[in-house]
This record gives sequence, C-alpha cells and structure tokens, in this order.
Amino acid sequence: MALERLKSVQDLRTLQQRLAGERDPRIPVIVIPAGTCGQASGANDLIRIAKREILGRGLTDKIRLRVTGCHGYCQMEPSVLVEPQGTFYPRVDVERMAEIVDATAKGMVLEHLLYRDEETEIRIEKQSEIPFFRKQVRTIIAQNERVDPIRILNYIEVGGYGALATILEKNDPQWVVEEVKNAGLRGRGGAGFPTGLKWELLAQQKKRIKYLVCNADEGDPGAYMDRSVLEGNPHSVIEGMLIGAFATGATHGVLYVRNEYPLAIKHLLIALRQARELGLLGVGILGTTIAFELDLVKGAGAFVCGEETALMHSIEGKVGEPRQRPPYPVQKGIDRKPTAINNVETWANIPIIIRNGSAEYAKVGARKNSGTKIFSLVGKVRNTGLVEVPMGVTINSIVHAIGGGPAGRARIKAVQTGGPSGGCIPSSMFDLPIDYDSLVAAGSIMGSGGMIVMDENTCMVDVAKYFMRFLKHESCGKCYTCRKGTQRMHEILDDISKGIGTEGHLDLLEELAGVVKDTSMCGLGQSAPNPVLSTLRYFRNEYRRHIYDKRCDAFVCNGVVGAPCASACPIGTEAWRYIAHIARGEYEQAYSVIREANPFPSVCARVCNHPCEEHCKAGAHGGEAVAIRALKRFITDRADPSIYKPVRMEDEFAATQRIAVIGSGPAGLTAAHYLSLKGYKVTVFESDSKPGGMLYSAIPSYRLPRTTIEKEIDSLVDKNITIRCNTALGRDVTIDSLFEEGYNAVFLAFGAHKSLRLRLRGEDLPGVYPSIQFLKAFNQRGENLAKGRVGVVGGGNSAVDAARVAVRQPNVKSVTVFYRRTREEMPAFAEEIEAALQEGVHLETLVAPTGILEEEGRLSGVEFINNQLGEFDESGRRRPVPLPGTQHIVPLDTLIVAISEGSDTDCVSVAGINRIDVDERKGIIRVDPETLCTNRPGVFAGGDVVTGPNTVVDAIAAGKRVAVMLDHHLRGEPLRQPSERRVPRHYVEPTNGHEVHLRGRVALPRVDMEARKHGFGEVELTLSEAEAKREATRCLRCDLEFTQPSKDEPAVEEQKEQLV
Amino acid sequence: MIKLKINAVPVSVEEGSTILEAAQFLGFPIPTLCHVEGLSPYGACRLCVVEVGEGARSKLVSSCTYPVEEGLRVRTASARVVRARKMILELMLGSCPQSKIIQDLASAYEVRQQRFKQEYETCILCGLCARMCTEQMMAHAIGFQGRGDHRTLGTPFNIKSEKCRLCGGCIYICPACQLRCTYTQPEKAICGGCANLSPPCLEKPNFDDMMCYMSPCVACEIKKD
Repeated sequence: MALERLKSVQDLRTLQQRLAGERDPRIPVIVIPAGTCGQASGANDLIRIAKREILGRGLTDKIRLRVTGCHGYCQMEPSVLVEPQGTFYPRVDVERMAEIVDATAKGMVLEHLLYRDEETEIRIEKQSEIPFFRKQVRTIIAQNERVDPIRILNYIEVGGYGALATILEKNDPQWVVEEVKNAGLRGRGGAGFPTGLKWELLAQQKKRIKYLVCNADEGDPGAYMDRSVLEGNPHSVIEGMLIGAFATGATHGVLYVRNEYPLAIKHLLIALRQARELGLLGVGILGTTIAFELDLVKGAGAFVCGEETALMHSIEGKVGEPRQRPPYPVQKGIDRKPTAINNVETWANIPIIIRNGSAEYAKVGARKNSGTKIFSLVGKVRNTGLVEVPMGVTINSIVHAIGGGPAGRARIKAVQTGGPSGGCIPSSMFDLPIDYDSLVAAGSIMGSGGMIVMDENTCMVDVAKYFMRFLKHESCGKCYTCRKGTQRMHEILDDISKGIGTEGHLDLLEELAGVVKDTSMCGLGQSAPNPVLSTLRYFRNEYRRHIYDKRCDAFVCNGVVGAPCASACPIGTEAWRYIAHIARGEYEQAYSVIREANPFPSVCARVCNHPCEEHCKAGAHGGEAVAIRALKRFITDRADPSIYKPVRMEDEFAATQRIAVIGSGPAGLTAAHYLSLKGYKVTVFESDSKPGGMLYSAIPSYRLPRTTIEKEIDSLVDKNITIRCNTALGRDVTIDSLFEEGYNAVFLAFGAHKSLRLRLRGEDLPGVYPSIQFLKAFNQRGENLAKGRVGVVGGGNSAVDAARVAVRQPNVKSVTVFYRRTREEMPAFAEEIEAALQEGVHLETLVAPTGILEEEGRLSGVEFINNQLGEFDESGRRRPVPLPGTQHIVPLDTLIVAISEGSDTDCVSVAGINRIDVDERKGIIRVDPETLCTNRPGVFAGGDVVTGPNTVVDAIAAGKRVAVMLDHHLRGEPLRQPSERRVPRHYVEPTNGHEVHLRGRVALPRVDMEARKHGFGEVELTLSEAEAKREATRCLRCDLEFTQPSKDEPAVEEQKEQLV
Repeated sequence: MIKLKINAVPVSVEEGSTILEAAQFLGFPIPTLCHVEGLSPYGACRLCVVEVGEGARSKLVSSCTYPVEEGLRVRTASARVVRARKMILELMLGSCPQSKIIQDLASAYEVRQQRFKQEYETCILCGLCARMCTEQMMAHAIGFQGRGDHRTLGTPFNIKSEKCRLCGGCIYICPACQLRCTYTQPEKAICGGCANLSPPCLEKPNFDDMMCYMSPCVACEIKKD
C-alpha cells in the first residue's frame, strides 16, 4: 500500500492528529520486543503464537499487538509487555504465550509469570518498578517500546517528525544550530566533540554540495546500543539527520551501517522507502524547497571504518584507511565536499532536543555533559542489557544498582569502558562519575558506550591480550607503529600470559605503548595502547604475579595455570596425577605423588579446604568438581606411609648446623621434616604436652581422629628431629637463649591461639568463652564447657567447629550460630555448615550482638540487633547495616565467641621482647612475604603466626618455604626461591573411561546421624575402591594438554617396571 | 604565504606545502623511509614525526603529510620526537634487520638494543613501490592487500599482473630490499658497522673467504694494501 505524499507541514500535523485520534487508549496492547536479541531468544515464536491466538479467538477488537525493537533488558528476552498497565513478563516460555494473550483479553495479570526480585523474592508486575528499569532515565530507549520500526505511521502517531515540522515552520537554520549548541549535546561516538559546533562549521562552508553521515559502524566488542536504536527506531535517526540537513544546508546524507547488522539494514531500508513515499526525503520536503537525499551504505566490516576519515574512504569506494587530519572532514570530506559525521545516538538525540527545547534537555546530566547516554552493560553482572542513564552518574550506580551486582559469587573487580580503545577502571574507583572528561582522566574513554563488567575470574593480562589481538587484526596497517606496535604488544602479553615474561617486559610494554599512542595517525592507533596502559596502571600486580610468581590468580592463562588443581594447591600437589593413577589402579604411585608434595597427607585428606576442587574444570560451568579430597583420603587410608622413601641428603655442612623450631603444628613440623631431609639437626619446641599444635587443640576429633595425627607425626620424626614438649617460648626459652645454646637459626611457628574479643561489657562472665579456649578445653582435657542453650557468634570455621563440638556435649539443649551477614558470605567451608545444620545446629544470619545480660553473676542471655545488607563496600560485598529498633534478647546459658583469632598476644609480645618486629594490633609477626624472614637475622616466622588464622595447607606451604629459605640463609646464599610454572610434566596414560560425563560426583559416605550427634568418632568415611575408581575417571585430565607420551619419558618406564 | 616557526626559526612557505618540505627548506634533517619527492605523501613509516603545538596540547604528527598552518610551532628533534623515532627504529630492526638504510638510521639515532623477538622480514610496508607503480610508472600493477597483521603488498590475487612491465621501479625505490646489510652476527639485530666505520670483519684474518654482498665496502677498501 503506497502512502500518500504529504504536501505541507500542515498535512503532517493533520495526519498525526488523525492517527492519534483513531487510537483507543483502553484497548490493551501486547508489545513483543523483537530486536536481534529478542529474535535470538525466540521472540518470533511468541509473535507467531500471539497472532494465531488473537486471530483464532477473534480478539482483534480487544487486543492489539505491536512488534518492536529491543527494550533494553536483553537478559530477560524473550519478554512481553502489556500496555497500558505496563505489565512485564520476562523470559516468556512459548507454551505460556497463549495464556498471556488470554489473560490480557480478560484484563488479568498472570502472577506466576511476573518478574521475581532475587533478593526480596517479591514478584513485581510493572516494568517501571523493576529495579533494572526504575533507576534509569530512558529518553531514547523507551521510544523503542512505543513504535513498530517498520511502520512510519506508528512513529508519526506518537509525535514523530514533529520536530521536523517545528523547524520547518520556524524556518531559521541558525536557530536550530543554536538550540543544539545550547543543549550542550556532545558526540556520542566517544570523542565527545560538541555537535552544535560541528554543525556551525559545516553551515559556514559555502559549497553547493554538503554531506551528512550517520556513523553506524559499531564495532566495539560488547557494544550494541546503536544497533538497537537503528533496529527499534530508525525514523528517529532519519528525523535527526533531516533536522541536521536543514540546519547546515547539507544536500546529501549517508547512513553507514556495518553489514553485520542485517536487521538494522532491513529496517532502515524500509524506513527510507516510507519516508520518501511520504515526501519526507528527496526534493521538496513537505512542500518546501528543501532537498535532502539520504542513502544507505553497507560497510564491509572493518573496525577501522568507524574512524571518520577511513569511513569516508569506504563510502567513496576506496580501501578503508584513515588519512591525515587536517584537512578536517568539515572542510574536505566525501569527494572533497564538506562533510559532518555523527554517531547514531547523537542523531537520535536531535529530535528530542528540538521537541523538548534545549533548556529542558540541558537540565539532564552533568555540567558540560548534558543528556542521557545508553550503555550496553555486559559481562559478569546479574542484569545485562542496554542501560540509559543521565551523564555523570557513578559507575557504582550502573553496575550495582541497575546491573544488580555480581552474577556469581566472585567479586566484581573492574569495568572496561570504551571497547578496544578504552580502558579498565578498578572497583575502587567506582565512585567515578561517568562523563567524557573524568573517564579520560582515569585512563579510559567513554567510547560508544560498551561497559564490560569483570570479576575475580577475569585475568587482566588476558583482557589486555584479548583486546590487543583484536586490534592487531583490525589495525588498517598503514602506520608502522600501529601495525607492528600492536603485534609486538600482543606478542609480549602472550609471553607474559604463558609465564615466560621477563623483568624488562613491563617497561618495554609501557615504552612501546607510549610511542604507539604518540605516533599513530588516527584515533584507532592513538587509543590502541589504552587497554594495556590502563591495566598496567591499575593491575600491575597481576602482571607481576604472572612474570615473577608464574601465577594467574583468576585461573585463566592456560600457560601458567596448567592443570588448575595443581596450580590452586598452595603446596603444588599434582592432584591430576594421583587421580590418574587411581583410575589406573596404581595406588602406591598415587601415594608417592601425594606424599612427595605433602608431609601431612592423611591430615589434609580430612581437613584441607581443597582449593583444588574450587578450581576443578569439571566443576566449572554448572558441573560438579571431582571429589579430590575424598580420593586423597581413599589413598592415604589404604597406603602404608613407609612405601614412600623421601630423598635424604648427607651433607657435612648441614650436619653441623642446629635449628630451633618453635611450635609443632603443621608449619613447624613441615619445616623440621624438610630440613631434616637436607641433613640439618632440628629441635622442635612445643608448649603443650603433645606435638601437633592446632591440629590437636582446635580441630575436633570427629573431623580428624587423634590416631591419624599421631601416626602422621610419628612417620615424620627421624634421627635428625628432636621434639621437646612442655617448653614454651618466653617461659622456658628465649630467642637469645636459643642462640646462646648454639642454635644457628630459629623458625617461629607457634600459631594463632587467641580469639578476638567482642568488646562488650560482661565478656568475662562465667559462661562466656572464646572459641579457642572452648575447643582446647575439650580437645586437650576433655572438659565439657557448654551447657543448656548455647550461642556461637561468628561465621568462620572456628565458629562452626565450636558449634559442632557443643552439639555433641551432654548437657546441651540447643546450639545456635549467629552471623552478621548472610549464609553465602560465611567464611566457613560450605560442607561444614551443611554438616552442622544436619546435626541440629541452628543458624541465624544478619544479626550482631549488642549486649551481654547477667543474672546471679552468670550469663543469662545476649541482646542482638538485626542487620540488613547495605551498600557494596570496596571488597564488593554488601556491608551489614544495623536496623535501629530491632534489638531483641536471646536467652543463653553459654556463649562462644568465635569472631576470628589472633595469635597469642602474650607469645607475640614475647617475640617483641626478643626484638622481633610484631604487629600488636593484629597480633601477628611481621615478615618479608617473599623470604618469611623477620627483622632479626636468622629468625624466620610462618604459618598462622604470620597470616592470622589460616588453613592447614597454607601452614604446610609456609613450612616448606621456610625450609628452603633457612637452607639458603645458613649457606650464605641469597634468599630466593625462583617461581616455576606449574604445568604438568609427567605423562600418565589415560584409561578408557569414556562415560565420564554421564555421572555426577560421588556422594561422600558418612556415619549415620544418631551416631554423629552423640559421638566424637569420625564423621566422614572412606570411599570404596569401586567408588574411588569411578570418581577418578570423572577427571577431565587437563594435564594431557601439556604432556606427551614419549619413549624416553622416565616416569612411564619406571611405572612399568614397578608394575612388573 | 603561510608563516610558521620551525625549531624557533621563522619561515614562510606556500600554502599547501607540508612541514617536511618547510623543514627541508630550512635544512633541518628529518628521517623518513616512506617519503620520496615526486610521489604523493602517505605517512606510513612514522619516522618523520615532529612535535607541533605548545604545552599540554602539543602532539606528534607525521611531517610528510601535515600541511603547514599559520603560526604553527614545530620542533623537529625534541626529546619526545627522538624517543619515538628510537622506538620506531627498534621495531624496524626487530623485524627487518637486513636493510642497510634502517641499520644506518639506527646507528645515527644511537639505538643500542633490540628487545623484541627477532624476525627476518623483507618489507616494512611503506608503500613506496605501490605509489611508484601507480604515480610514476602509470601501471597500477601492485597495491596493498588485507589489513592489520595480514597486510601485504602484491598484485591482485597474487598472480602475475598483465599491467606489470617489469620496469623495476618498485625495487629501485624500496628502502628495505636494496642494499642488504650483511652483518656478521645474524643472531643480533644491530650491526651499525658501516655507519660506525669499524666493520667487524676487519679483525677477521681471512675475510676474503667470507660471503659478502657488500661491494664495494669500506672494510674491504681499508684492508686492501
């Protein structure tokens, strides 16, 4: 159906009034967004069913259907919006569409299909009240909801082309330029050049032919706001360009759209045809003498063609290569004619400025940065989609308030803005207002508005490498520095990410980046080093970790991570290797692999926090990690420790040296063991009556049986090691006296033995115990301190241990753990919390103690206040904020305080008296983190006494490091332990277990509940051989990427011999 | 006429001329590998960068393509310019060490290290050959293909071009192909022998046996009795 040509401005006005009048506002409209995102999620099916239902049931008079472009909440596509109520149905199932049509016809709302807020768990009906939408100012994107992009009459009905009519009536180009200037609109393409100024310059050019260009070559990875505007509301861009043509006297216009946007091109071509038919384009627009030809040019897909001079070359049909400016496009552009180029979003803003007036427009946003800006919020954030906000809001409000914070458990660490030319802004700077100038000051750019959120599982070196790879492909290659510079930067980053970076690399990278920025001709080259420079500026430490420590903390860079299980282990246990041996039934080799890295295999098989399982690739992407600790337990339970023969060195020098180790916990004994292997004579001093340290006093026997500890320690003690129990530092010996006795070096590893205090009055009442005192009393002396109703304050492992011990004690009625944040944020191991709840421990979260109540000289209860989660703090967790007036009293007979442990301050101050540098407030000894050396030569410290309460495996790691450092120290060698890449080196032939993906993780066998509640016997049991083998075949064998079967591989040969 | 200052020396030149032309008129040396009189300016090698403007707004531009502007202040050898040129030469040595022109320039700019992985390419893609072919030989036989790291020079579809008359203009104009530097330590990129007038082959007793493409070469001339 051909449209009738409009012959005057009045015709347009009449048409608009007629269309608006025909519309019945009472008839509900089902709006289905079907932009690229919607169609990809299945919006076309919804449309088909909606049409079928409406026609089939004869509802054409009762319901209208409107197919529109993207509304912005791409995460929730395919969605349905019902006007005029604004009911929003997210992620609509095809099966449910008929129901929605039916309910709409009856004027009902389908409660169960509405949006559900994840935090409050309340269902929200109206789109405008959903947090994602509520906090936006949707000037441009909201228009997408109101128009069907392929119907020009739809656009006219809602007032479209009204701005054009206004300026044609006013007939004053100068006024239009002034309006745009006064509005303060700046180019939305990224550089932020004032649009009004650009137009004024073009208007001043006295040439017969002038060009206007709409730059829709949107190529930034992760940015797609221009596409959505073009798809959803093409006429707003055309109207903007018409207004621009009138203001500047331009005669020709070009829409330069990249070919990768087929839907945008389709909608634009339809829109251009309809506009021409209506007489809005071409010669004699709306009966005036104004002529403007607007055509569409498809870009063949080069990122550099978004640069204005390259874009003009591309329009001319030449290779998309930038050229020198000056001369600027406004002087000599397309075919050497004056040209003004603006971004899609800039053009879409123009009708709004004219319609509402520049004064109104300038009210929105910040100073010198007026109006709204659309960002495409993507990455590791809960709500992804297009977000339109006034300029000058903070990054925080976009990422947290609108984006809903992190998508998973990992904390957000940075956002990347501006695509490949932009930079990364760390979470510590999230208070930064988003405008052109402050982003540039922070080392990034606004760019077209891509915003990629990154969390702790994103490696910044990898990010920089990704962008550099993109840029080395997308540089046009004209400038030597940009072409070769991006290649070389990528090469260096690649080396760093593979763990073969060197000391000079960072300086070279910085120097090169500076020169590429300085000497390239166009914007692409000048901003190409930004991803490198900004990550170097804010995340230099991550680069250093890759280069010096050969570690990638995000477990992304394959070359340094190797097999993630081995890489995650603080002592480098090659979990993949012993699992592979288990799968093959080679249990003795499996034991040797474990024991080689770990002197406490049986202990760790029970109480390790298994970081290996956290990073297991089988557990990524919704799968379940291999039960590595259970497999270790299987091996250590069945293997005899004596099968492992550690390599002993006979060394004359070492035999003359005596070393004192203070503390016989895992750190102390590990150091003693490895030093003894090197031939040193070691004396271990223990203040208690038995060696074992925290293994004994803090870890309850139902997790770690005493016999296991004893067996393990017995196997470590040899002729070089003497253990002196009941000898405490400060009481029986001092560091000075040890040196006087002839010891050549001292290792302090006496652990953290004191709980922090609540700082409330009444904390010293009978019935109130610090958790460590409570646990020690039971573990060492068998005293049952808990009575009646027991409360435990804290959320760490110590709190859960105390609760589980209390629940087993005879006179206890109930046990409740009180924690100030939510269960997800509890630092205790998830499986321990689960086990505690199974055993009948209650958990109350979001409460904090405010007072202790006394009755007859004894604890009678505790006053708590409720918390709610407030703003995000710097760590990315939400701060607990007390709710005034929610104080309540919980009657308690026993209170166990387990809010983090410090070292025994007495002991630490003893160390202080011995001229050791200590941090009194934290109760820890200060050491050089690399060498574990204290300020006093020959005295080292490690384990909990340095870190505060920590895991067993970290203590073992400290012990191993100290053994190396002490050896270097005594031999007068520099205290250095060069880091090595932990990539797998030994080839273990895989078994033919092909059903790997069909099975889930093995369920850990446990003692039944009744026995658990009253006994202190071990709760977890060993896997059966069949279970262990089956579980071992679930391993994805990440190591095979790095190893090769080869004849001269000694490991394979040895294995065969041993098997024979 | 446009008045501007180059290294604080006032000069007036015709409108439309470039900074490079103005600087050469005054006798200030500016190195370049992709610019030859008679061919259109292109701005590929970036060696001819100069600093224009003052203070925070100053920037580096390629002098071969930048048109002179009224009142422009140009510095042809500021610290920033020299730093950039040294890095560019280091990059060039890293990938194209066999060009004598590049080796000489590196010596002149005292480039003493090459920190990138050594490559042995034969082309820096300055585009002189393509411009020579198009603008002087009127052949249009060769041109650029691809972009970024896939950019190469060649004939369409890399087959023998009917337009090519085998005139050799492309080889004549090339700064990288002709005059191969035959330094004696191939594992090191920096030779500098010729420019420093102390060729390493001088100390070698039997230099007669060495495979050398440099003829005539200073070293041989000196050693001759």
